[in-house]
Order: sequence, then C-alpha cells, then structure tokens
Amino acid sequence: MNHDHCGTSRRQLLKTLGAGATLSVFGGGKLLAQEKVNKLHVKGGAIDVHHHHAPPALANGGRGAAPGPRGAAPPAATPPPAAGGRGRGRPDGLAGPWTPEKTLEQMDKFGIAVSILSMTQMGDILYRGDEQGRRNVRIGNDYGASLMQKWPKRFGLMGGVPLPDIDGVLKEIEYCYDTLKVDAIGIYTNDNKGRWPGDKYFEPMWQELNRRNGICYMHPLAPTCCSNLRYGPAAAMLEFDFDITRAVASIVVNGVMFRYPNIKFVTVHSGGAVPMLVGRMKDRVPAGSEQYLPNGLYAEVRKWYFDIAHAAFPWPFAAARAFMPPDHLMFGTDYSPEPIESTVNELPGLKLPEDFYQALGRTNAEKLFPRFKGVVI
Amino acid sequence: MHSRREFLKALSVAGAGAILPASELLAQQPKFKFASKAGAIDVHHHMAPPNLPGAVGGIAAGPRGAQPAGAAAAAARGGARGGDARGGGAGRGAADAAGQRGGGRGAWTPQRSIEQMDKFGIGVSLLSLTQVGNVIYDNTEKGRAACRLVNEYGAKCMADYPKRFGMFASIPFPDVEGSLKEIAYAYDTLKADGISIYTNDNQGKWPGDPAHEPIWQELNRRNAILYMHPWVPACCSNLNYGAGSFMNEIDFETSRAVISFITGGVLFKYPNLKLILAHSGGTLPVLAGRMKDRYPADKNQYIPNGLWAEFRKLYYDCAHATYKFPWAALTALVPPTQFLFGTDYSPEPIESTMDNIPDLHLSKDVLDMLERTNAEKLFPRFKA
Repeated sequence: MNHDHCGTSRRQLLKTLGAGATLSVFGGGKLLAQEKVNKLHVKGGAIDVHHHHAPPALANGGRGAAPGPRGAAPPAATPPPAAGGRGRGRPDGLAGPWTPEKTLEQMDKFGIAVSILSMTQMGDILYRGDEQGRRNVRIGNDYGASLMQKWPKRFGLMGGVPLPDIDGVLKEIEYCYDTLKVDAIGIYTNDNKGRWPGDKYFEPMWQELNRRNGICYMHPLAPTCCSNLRYGPAAAMLEFDFDITRAVASIVVNGVMFRYPNIKFVTVHSGGAVPMLVGRMKDRVPAGSEQYLPNGLYAEVRKWYFDIAHAAFPWPFAAARAFMPPDHLMFGTDYSPEPIESTVNELPGLKLPEDFYQALGRTNAEKLFPRFKGVVI
Repeated sequence: MHSRREFLKALSVAGAGAILPASELLAQQPKFKFASKAGAIDVHHHMAPPNLPGAVGGIAAGPRGAQPAGAAAAAARGGARGGDARGGGAGRGAADAAGQRGGGRGAWTPQRSIEQMDKFGIGVSLLSLTQVGNVIYDNTEKGRAACRLVNEYGAKCMADYPKRFGMFASIPFPDVEGSLKEIAYAYDTLKADGISIYTNDNQGKWPGDPAHEPIWQELNRRNAILYMHPWVPACCSNLNYGAGSFMNEIDFETSRAVISFITGGVLFKYPNLKLILAHSGGTLPVLAGRMKDRYPADKNQYIPNGLWAEFRKLYYDCAHATYKFPWAALTALVPPTQFLFGTDYSPEPIESTMDNIPDLHLSKDVLDMLERTNAEKLFPRFKA
C-alpha cells in the first residue's frame, strides 16, 4: 500500500498500544487529559447519517476500507504535528477492527442516538461489475441489516449496490427495500469505471429509486483518473471532495433531479467543494442543461442534503450555511474512518443558535427518516 | 429566459438601434464601481497576444483551451449571464451585441481592457495569460518562443500604457533552463512585476516536484511574486460527467498545486516567494480543515506552524468568486491582508466579480485593502 510511508509509525504505535503498553508509552494522565469530550446536547440524542460499518467478511484489516491507495486509511496518522494545533492522534484510541460495540460505545459517549450505517472506501470490493461484486454488496447489506435487527433503536442502513452492474443494482435495490427494509440506498460518487451518476448508463437505477421515492446517499470514491496523482498527499486529502463536487454537478446538469423528482439526494462533508464553487458552477452550466434547471442551478443544488461529517470547520460550514437551506444540513461523523471528535469538537466554536443546533443534530434527519422520530436516548 | 432569448433574436435581426433608443443601451451603468481616484488594482486580468501560435484570442486550441462549457448556451439564451461566459476575447455571446456587459464583441485588445477598467474604476491591471498551457508548457523550443512572444507583447502593453498595465511574465515550464533564461529576461529587460505560472507543468507534475526546484531557487533569490493560474491537468481534462472542465476541475487544481508547493517543501525552503491564488483560492478554503487532517506526516517539517499558517501567508484574488458562499469561507480562513482584487477579464466579464461586491457588505477598511492597498504592498510601483 502506497500510504505506508505515512502510516508506518502509527501502525507500530498502535501495535505497541495493543500489546497493552499504553501506560508505559504515555503517562496515563496525559492520555486522559486529552479527553475533553464535547458531548452533543441534542435533545433525544443526535442522528448520525454518516457512520460506517465494516462487515468483517469484507473489510481489510477490519477498518472497512478496501486495500490500495483509494481505500487507504487516512495517511496522516502519525503523532500529531505540533503544527496543526489539533493533530491527528486518534482520540478515540481505535485500534483493531471496527465492531458494532465500539460504535455504540462511541455513540453513547457523544450523545448519538441513531447511526445510519453505510460502507466506506470499498469501491474496489463492491464496484467490480461482476458476480463477486454482487456477492460482496450482499454480504455488506446483510451484515448491516443484522445490526439493525440486533439494535433496532440504534442503527439504520443505507443499502449498497453493485455498480456498474445495473441488473445487479436493480435486484439489490429490491432486496434492500423489500427484504432488508433499508432507510436509503448508498452509492459512490462514480462507478469505479470512469462514469459519474449523471451518465445515461445509470438511468434505470434512478428510474427505480424514483419509483420507490428513494433516498440516495452519495459517498465519495476517488475515481481512477485521480487516485494516483503525484502532487504530494494521498487521494483522501482532496480527491474525495472533488469527486463529490463532480457527482453533484453530474446529477444536476444531466437532469437526473429534473427527471426523477421523487428521489432525495444526500451527500457528505458539507457538500465537499460544492458550496465554494456553486457560483462559478452556475456561470458554467453546459449548453443544453438549462432545460433541467427551470429555477436555476442554485435551486437544484439547494434540494440536496449535506451531512457535516469532518467538515464542521468554520470555513466549509460558513459556505454551506450561507448557501444551503438550514433544514438541509444534517449531522454526520464519518466514524470510524474518522474519529467522531473531528466533527463534534468543531461545533462549540460555531456558536449555533439552539434551534439550528437541534435541527442539525436531529430533526432535519427525522424528516428524511421519520421512523427514528420517537427513537431517543 | 425565453422572452429574453426572443428579444435578443429580434435584436440581432433588426439591429439594436431599431428597437431600443441608443440612450437606453448606453445607460447601462455598472452595478458597482470603485470610487477611489487611483482605482483598483486588478491582479487577475488576461491579455490575449494576437500572434500566439496555437491560440485563438488568448485561448489555446483543443479541449483544455476551449471556451467555458457554458459559453454557447449562455450566448444562445442571453439569460442571467448576458451571454458573456465566453472564452478569451473571441466567441462573445449575442447579448453583447445588445448589452454592454463584458465590453462588446470581437477580439480582446488592450484598449478594450482599458475601456472596461475605466468603466469599473480599475486603475491598474496586471496582465497574464489565460488558458494556453499546452502552447507555452510544451517543453520544447516552441514553448520558449511562445513565452518570449507573449512576454514582449505584455511589455509593449506596459510601455504603451505605463500607468495602466503591469505584467506577470510567463515561463516555459517544465523546461528548467528555458525558464531560468526567461526569468532573467522578464525581470532584467522587461521589468515584469512578477512571474505567472500554471498549477501544473502540463506533463503530469505539480509545482512541488523536485524537477522544478532550480526555478524556485532562482525566483526566491529575486523575491518573486508568483501569480498562479489554474490549468486543468491531463488526468482531468476529459472526464465525462456532463460539465466542461471549466466548471469544477479548474478550481480543484489550485488546491492540488498549493499542497504540492507545501508538501514539496518549496514554500518552506524558499520563503521569499509570494504566491497569489485565483478565484478566492478555488476550493482551498472549504477543504482547509480536511487538508490539515490528511497532511502527510512525513512532511511535517515543512509546516512548523501548521498547515493553516501556510495558507494564511498566501494571497487570494477574488476574481469570479465574490459570491457570498466562497467569500464566507475565505474570510473565515485568512485575514483581510491577504485579499487581492481580480476580475479574470476578458474570459470572464468584470461584472461577474464586481456585481457581487455590494452584497458582501465589506467595511471601508476591508474594501480599501481589497481594492488596492494590499496590492500596493506587493507592487509598490503602483502606489496611488
């Protein structure tokens, strides 16, 4: 894995920690002192719409990411740079494979009532376009459904689909909704074969989701064009968010939302670069797309929902808040690829009005996922 | 929009004068104009040297130099955009025939720039090239010759209008020897105000690549001001997602190039370089948090005060990115000392930047800084 140069020392550190050497490495006090928990004060507990399960039968190293550069764990995991101020030691001390118990422990710690599970950087495992891809998706979905069954008040599920295999996708949508009772369908921002979701190729999937009044939860996957660009960092630094922006543009300008108005679209990280670029996007609408934008590009983009996972920093939040309707922003964490702290530690600094905070933390999501309305902690 | 399109069609058939009284056409006043006597300093203003081989109206031939994808549509609909999302000086929209936005149709000329500058209260524009990366960054003699041609053209504009134009000279990346020669010529003979670079070298390398190091060394020695303009790299020029690469890809590049500069240690090793970014930083302000959390740990030596401190040393022109949303992000990330005014004229009409400024409700202090005083510190020869 080409991120080894970044992750090695951390891996070693974790190995050491795992060997039970915590106290001999850090003073116990130092570890505890780092733990100022910014527990959420959302009434009834928050709803986390960006929370990843890592099906043990699929996951690489139990972290839910596919092997290789695109699935790699975040690269910057060595001891925190003195520099960044708030560096990258994992405050949650996550080592070893993800488990639902760990997630529940974290949810309790931060005041999260419900997490709606989806799969993270597994594009190479799920988006193969073959029988194995179908099987892998099924394994992931069945596993997610088993967690919903076991903890019905704590977990929801965004069912995955085996793009670019459209027949497989249609079958899986049916299975997800009719058998597993998922809350939404989760897709990646591209089909891992150089197509983005506005491509005509995806049309049957949109048709079917529209027919079911589906919710489409779109998670980034660095596309093949841009997985190994040699400008310094790993693709996880920028390319994920670029691809969110591409995929949103693709869906909007190709008329997917226009043709399939029953689908609700959700994406992550405060919209990636969308709020920053939306003005310039409006001025670059391609010829022929106006027919899909009867009220302009802004109006279509504002129909999206954005989760704020790992993008509650003051700058993206300022842009997202300035652009989006307030009831289209939802809480998310990107746990476990990202510690929950990365999101919740930013919230106090945003000084959100109480009603906005409650809506962001819970009630906006309740409107999309009404079955969690009474589900409180 | 329909009625406007029909209206425009009527105009082009019947001729503007036949429908509208001339006074109404001319009366189009800018929504916002800088009021100071000296006028604004526009650091993002493009020249289109007429004789540049392989380029038309300052824009290279081929997909990466093509007009913004919206151009044809905008021209046809003449709607919200007034048909002015065209590339270069060429390919103006029909609406320009009727309206005044963008300064009319036909090829770019320095006179046309000055006319527009006067209209909006812009005192000085620092000229640079726009989308001609594959002409000047071809790594051959041709690239060297093209840079020389455009730099001399820019110098002539400066000579003709010494109080109105400055220049960011181009260098023939990734040709190190050619670049060093052009740097010497640009500073010593042409008296350029800075050097213009693209975000990548058109050969799959970004600025932090060690291959480019001698160029940074020399520019550091000269305390250079670097104007970095986005150029969509080969990886991403023809992604088929429905939008032209001018919609998004161009702004992604600015963030890639900045992180390359930093992780490559260029800004750390060559601290005299001053780097100006276009379009309010492209995507950088919204991604700065995630960038910090994904910064490669083995490059920490290059960010002794953290990544954000590096971002706060950069300069950001506001060309075509004064919309409230990017502005909210940018102003939250960097202090107002880093703002510069820019327009991206003529690929973009000046209105695209200026019309939004009143809605930003800037304080007088910040507006002054944006308009000219920050730029004066970088380019003291243009002090009021």
